[in-house]
Amino acid sequence: MQYGRFLLRRVVHSVFVIWGAATVVFMLRFLTPGDPVTALAPPDAGDEVRAALERRLGLDDPIHIQYFDYITDLMVGDFGKSMEVLDRSVLDWIFWTRFLRSVELAISATVVAIVIAIPLGVISARRRHTVSDYSATLFSLGGISTPNFWLGLMLILLIAVPVGFIPTGTPGPLLHEAVGDLLAGDPGTLGDWLRFMLLPAITLGTYFTALLTRLTRSGMLEEIGKAYVKATRAKGLPETLTMYRHVLRNTLIPIVTILGLQLGTLIGGAIITETVFEWNGLGQLLIERINARDWTMIQGIVIIIAIGFVTINTIVDLLYAYLDPRVMDE
Amino acid sequence: MISDRVKASLKREFYQSRAAQVGLALVVIITLMAVFAPMIAPHDPTTQRVGTGDTAELTDLPPISPVPGHEFVGTREQSIVNETTGEFRNVQVEVPANASHPLGTNERGQDILSRVIYGARVSMLVGILGAALAAIVGVPYGLVAGYFGGRLDDGLMRIGDVMLAFPSLVLAIALIGVFRDSGFHTTDLPDPFVAAAQADAIPNILIPRSGHVATMPEATTFPVTVTLVVALVNWVWFARIARGEALSIRAEEYVTAARGLGASNTTILRQHILPNAITPIIVLATIQVAFIILLEASLSFLGFSGTNLTWGADIQQGRNGLSSGKWWVSTMPGLAIVLAVVGVNLLGDWLRDALDPGIQGESGGV
Amino acid sequence: MAEPLLRVENLSTRFFTEEGQVNAVEGVSFEVEQGEVFGIVGESGSGKSVTALSLVDLVESPGRVTDGSVWFRKPDLAERIREDDPEAATEAVDGEMVDIRQLDENERRALRGTDFAMIFQDPTSSFNPSITVGTQIAEAVEVQRRAEANPRTLRSRTQGFGLMKFLTTSMVPTVDYVSEESRERAVELLDTVGIPDPAERATEYPYQFSGGMLQRAMIAQALASEPSVLVADEPTTALDVTIQAQILNTMADLQEEYGMTTVLITHNLGVIARMCDQVGVMYAGELVERGTLGDLFERPTHPYTKGLLGSSPSLEDATKRLQPIEGNVPSLLDEEMEDRCYFADRCPKAMEDCLQDPPEFDADGSQHHRAKCYLADHGYESALPEGYFDE
Ligand SMILES: Nc1ncnc2c1ncn2[C@@H]1O[C@H](COP(=O)(O)OP(=O)(O)O)[C@@H](O)[C@H]1O
Ligand code: SF4
Ligand SMILES: [Mg+2]
Repeated sequence: MQYGRFLLRRVVHSVFVIWGAATVVFMLRFLTPGDPVTALAPPDAGDEVRAALERRLGLDDPIHIQYFDYITDLMVGDFGKSMEVLDRSVLDWIFWTRFLRSVELAISATVVAIVIAIPLGVISARRRHTVSDYSATLFSLGGISTPNFWLGLMLILLIAVPVGFIPTGTPGPLLHEAVGDLLAGDPGTLGDWLRFMLLPAITLGTYFTALLTRLTRSGMLEEIGKAYVKATRAKGLPETLTMYRHVLRNTLIPIVTILGLQLGTLIGGAIITETVFEWNGLGQLLIERINARDWTMIQGIVIIIAIGFVTINTIVDLLYAYLDPRVMDE
Repeated sequence: MISDRVKASLKREFYQSRAAQVGLALVVIITLMAVFAPMIAPHDPTTQRVGTGDTAELTDLPPISPVPGHEFVGTREQSIVNETTGEFRNVQVEVPANASHPLGTNERGQDILSRVIYGARVSMLVGILGAALAAIVGVPYGLVAGYFGGRLDDGLMRIGDVMLAFPSLVLAIALIGVFRDSGFHTTDLPDPFVAAAQADAIPNILIPRSGHVATMPEATTFPVTVTLVVALVNWVWFARIARGEALSIRAEEYVTAARGLGASNTTILRQHILPNAITPIIVLATIQVAFIILLEASLSFLGFSGTNLTWGADIQQGRNGLSSGKWWVSTMPGLAIVLAVVGVNLLGDWLRDALDPGIQGESGGV
Repeated sequence: MAEPLLRVENLSTRFFTEEGQVNAVEGVSFEVEQGEVFGIVGESGSGKSVTALSLVDLVESPGRVTDGSVWFRKPDLAERIREDDPEAATEAVDGEMVDIRQLDENERRALRGTDFAMIFQDPTSSFNPSITVGTQIAEAVEVQRRAEANPRTLRSRTQGFGLMKFLTTSMVPTVDYVSEESRERAVELLDTVGIPDPAERATEYPYQFSGGMLQRAMIAQALASEPSVLVADEPTTALDVTIQAQILNTMADLQEEYGMTTVLITHNLGVIARMCDQVGVMYAGELVERGTLGDLFERPTHPYTKGLLGSSPSLEDATKRLQPIEGNVPSLLDEEMEDRCYFADRCPKAMEDCLQDPPEFDADGSQHHRAKCYLADHGYESALPEGYFDE
């Protein structure tokens, strides 16, 4: 009941935010220099050709009608059509595979980050002022200070080139293909997937890992000092359980929200990582379309990323409220 | 605006923390490097020496090893033409390091050390100006929202939430895509030292190595759009912090008292709320400088900044050489970025530990 | 005479801080008989809480128990140690008594929550804010249940619930450290301590409880293991006056029902008078006087005790709070503590002798009433010159 109301409020809020984001993206077009018809039409085109193009692109309507059309199109999942290759819709262009590649990369990086950062942060906090603590601190400082495109290049230079069997370009198989082959008895595809994913995931995940390590460490230290930890020990609960069930859990609750917001950085980082590793995903497409000055495509990609980002944040907020119901009361 | 107590705690923390000292040293060194680039840089960073006319070919020189007797020797591909048959084959020839290019040269023969020194200009300027601009927009916005509260607060913060719906790099790329064809994408900032060194009057005498300085580039290309865009995608973080502070301070007794005494809202905001909110804002600003330096480097790497003399662009430039053994072209500017950002981050940690403004977590918008 | 259940000898606890060494507890000794309530009273900052934490081995860095023994009567454990390690037993075992300070860390932890339970001063900060009250009490029950089912797991680091199990709990809700039986028991316990609607309230979070209700819940949590020794550190101080009385009633009833041995810490003489059999008065980390309730209230010997009781010491009139005594609570920093009676600068009766460290004296020949003051030994001689401590 209480949670239901909270859920409703959050969902309404995120729908509002997405609508706002769509409006911003719609307005972006009016800032672009030059008009699309001139860009598209042959230089010697007459007025009729231009008028036909204008109608084709829906630019002859008054602005509020265009806006209304844009929003209603979005609601039915029509993200617009390319300006360069007419009639090619954004979704056609994005293909399912490009989207999947980007998502796979982002998720792998997140997994790398979580698997490394949380134990590292915990160890660092519990063995404060030891060599392990200092190394973890140094690592996380370096991690949040290293531009990931450079890190990617350095990994190629120092690992991929000397080792030889770690590919640095054009992505390998998709995960579902790899799993399919594995089930069919051929583990080779999964190995390929891993080989291709290894460096990009590390590249993209390092900043996140470093940040998460820092947050976990400082959060744990703050939490360990609280009175309830002493009370938990007084109950005789084994130390490991005190750490997992109480301290770590409470440390992670606020971190979840911060990480939700930081996902923006991860998505941004993915664009760069894709460029470095010639990873054929959404980010590379965005860069390519920007260089082609294909505004409608850019709008489509940006709004798709924004919707994904807002959705993830909403889910994270709902999770937070589930873990720590106090937030519903504010 | 900063109380004695705060100063004392800054000082204490500084003396106790080796990290803070390293951070300050890094930031000071890099800032000095940026400001006095024409005096420090050994060569004009833009001069190409590709072996035409009377200049010797100086492309792809490897850096010098700091250990004497172990100077680096790099390799370069060259065509050897058989004089009688006219056939040629490509071979790798050894290229000795050159003492006047301690960090080596790139494929155009430009001196990497000089480029790294000049690159600090764009990075630091964009980092500091971008964070300042973001604060100038975001802080008043957040203070007003938090101070007046209610509907106004709701409305303003919703707009902020919409801004946060875009990952900052995505928004930045899209905006730059829009603005880069406009006339103000970059602007040339004349270099006062070079101008002074070239002048025949008194200023010339004041410039050390003026003969050298006079040959340096007369202007630095400053990426205007990039600065505006990084501010535009980051002001919300300042708004959020300022709002939170305003919300908690406005209920304090002395604020109520000031209001009772008939102080205007502007006065209260300026004299009571802002000074109290200033410490977390300073900490956030520091973290933002680090973040913006990284953001600028990414944009330059992607070729969106409109100038080539930046760390990010140089990394992009050296990328192709990585697989053929020319590792230094990308490595050096990257190390410069890491050192600059580490320095700023350490400063941020120092300020946070000393001021302890209770910024949520450690992220504050990064 | 039977051995006492708990015998504390010469307990000392220090904090090694940046400012220097803090002697928070200094040579404290007392005994508590089975089923009795031993009260510790003193001004704030006198080391009461640190004493309590030292008893249950919860002093944390930068603090450490540096000296002394805590003898606890536990015949089966004494027997086991004698069999396992006769060498260690000569030191750590005395008849049926075991010195818990000499046990290894896991053994000591195993005593917490089973034989020793603790109630803290501030209930709101002593519960984890993001876990339901019922679950937290059930945890205490579970520790006990697992220990009974398999005594060896009690001393393990995880009680068979390691990281893998923990990770699965976040995905598979049925795998949990806390069992259904323990949850049911938690509800019963809430009922025992007088919380209405216990089943409903067990599913609520600490922030949904009032201070008094939460303190009841903490008592329930302490009862989970039916401990032999209950250490209660100012259990009512954080509460409203009316609620204080209710909680005290509950505690008194439960004390009677379970026959628990209790160490009760307070700075409220009324609480002492209402609950305790034996009393110790704490000043600057030392127990300066101890004896039966009657000894202290009717025949106080130490000037500090007299000061606390005010001008008309009587059991009937003892409901008021501590009388403020002129002067400041002394610093416990080692370098600022001189080798003399720490109360001397505030003591109206200070004399030459007091400038050296007073031993503990037998106050009235009863062997039970002891005071760390020369007055208990040879009466009053002559005052120090006025302004002696001023410079
Ligand atoms: N964690 C700690 N670090 C340093 N000193 C402490 C710590 N905890 C307690 N102390 C010191 O121990 C002394 C006794 O404290 P405490 O036992 O809490 O007093 P009480 O409970 O009687 O009010 C105080 O002087 C305090 O400064
Ligand atoms: S020993 Fe002396 S100074 Fe200390 S309390 Fe007794 S009479 Fe006072
Ligand atoms: Mg206390």
